[in-house]
Amino acid sequence: MIMLEVKGLHKSFDSNKVLNDISFKVEKGEVVAVIGPSGSGKSTLLRCLTLLERVDRGTIVVAGDEMVRTNSENYAVYAPESSLKKIRLRMGMVFQDYNLFPHFSVLRNITEAPIHVARISKEEAEERAFELLKKMGLEDKADAYPYQLSGGQSQRVAIARALAMNPDILFFDEPTSALDPELTGEVLKVMRTLAEERMTMVVVTHEMGFAREVADRVIFMDKGQIVEEGKPQVVLCNPSNDRTRAFIKGLSER
Amino acid sequence: MTYDWDGFLNLLILLLEGAKLTVMIFFLTLIFSIPLGLIVAFGRMSKSWIIREPVKIYILLMRGTPLILQIALVYFGPYYLLPEGMKINLDRFAAAVAACTLNYAAYFAEIYRGGIQSIPKGQYEAAEVLGFSKIQTFMRIILPQVVKRILPPMSNEIITLVKDTALVQTIGISELFRVATVQSSAKSSTIPLAVAGIYYLIMNWVVTEFLQRAEKKLDYYR
Repeated sequence: MIMLEVKGLHKSFDSNKVLNDISFKVEKGEVVAVIGPSGSGKSTLLRCLTLLERVDRGTIVVAGDEMVRTNSENYAVYAPESSLKKIRLRMGMVFQDYNLFPHFSVLRNITEAPIHVARISKEEAEERAFELLKKMGLEDKADAYPYQLSGGQSQRVAIARALAMNPDILFFDEPTSALDPELTGEVLKVMRTLAEERMTMVVVTHEMGFAREVADRVIFMDKGQIVEEGKPQVVLCNPSNDRTRAFIKGLSER
Repeated sequence: MTYDWDGFLNLLILLLEGAKLTVMIFFLTLIFSIPLGLIVAFGRMSKSWIIREPVKIYILLMRGTPLILQIALVYFGPYYLLPEGMKINLDRFAAAVAACTLNYAAYFAEIYRGGIQSIPKGQYEAAEVLGFSKIQTFMRIILPQVVKRILPPMSNEIITLVKDTALVQTIGISELFRVATVQSSAKSSTIPLAVAGIYYLIMNWVVTEFLQRAEKKLDYYR
């Protein structure tokens, strides 16, 4: 089953073309790593997929539901807000700088949306939140506030918060880039577990180790385009494209 | 000759009567201007210039002219503006509260705007991705954080309001300071003025205490 289908995505900010004819598919249970130099459009792509930005042109289909398509005049036409609302609930997003709600406890960060958006009971939401916290190794942090957490703990709470809405697909926007190296591991470990459970994930990352070991497929982007796409061993170890090769080489020389 | 303690007690009671009016104007102004300020703040931040520009002019007028003048205009204005035969005399007290409300709403609006705009964009985005509606996002995620941030500047304005109520005497309301000046000239004494000063101090001490408690209550997060 195809969880996400993207066709001919275009997005410009003023005259600056950020996404140029992006097309790819993500199967259910697949982990796709999106890599590429900064400014290549990776984050913008994720923001378009999660409806934080609107595309100029292109088609996005999430689990069979059309989010946006291109009309005969070549303009993007979005589904009505009521449909978008449903589509949004199928997608979770983990941000680079966590974006936890500072005035809520860890528990409430996780349960607020299930209770007030998905409208499940408080008891059920809290039960599920504790399960997720346990999975994240944070069962003792339920009553803590975000300012009391380390970066790695914050990001794991953010992952739990996204998972609490039971999304069909989870997007990660450079989830470890704001973390100290020693905290990166604990977040990657959690993501690895999710991958093993066949959670569908699209991960924008600079962690080549993660991409190589966990991703089923790697997409290399540069200047708003998908330059190369394929199995991690191929794209990361034996790239066919010059730009990919230069990027990988640059990373290994750091 | 002994001090006229009965006269002094009488003075305290007279001033207390005036202070009652002061406190009423203070509370009514707050009750109306705190929500009105939020509406003004939204108008000021509106994407449509038809809403935004008039609100900007309103804020400029309210902050750019003396409150004492605004009080006089709200009270006397309708009398001069209305045609012959329809002339009404506005209730002094209502005019005073209306003028103070309009003035303070402008100041509060700018404090709210500063607070709202200081909340990181990521908070809105996290809420949007989780599916919160715009109203839910504002009420549950943004506003509680704004309240914490604006409490110190709001405290400043609220304390100033206690003292600004003295300006309503310009339309003949016998609030605390008016009573004090009348007593002062009647008795050729500065004691009534000094006592009024102490009254204001006590009121603001209570207000400060209350606001500090509110700040403390919001100390549980950063």
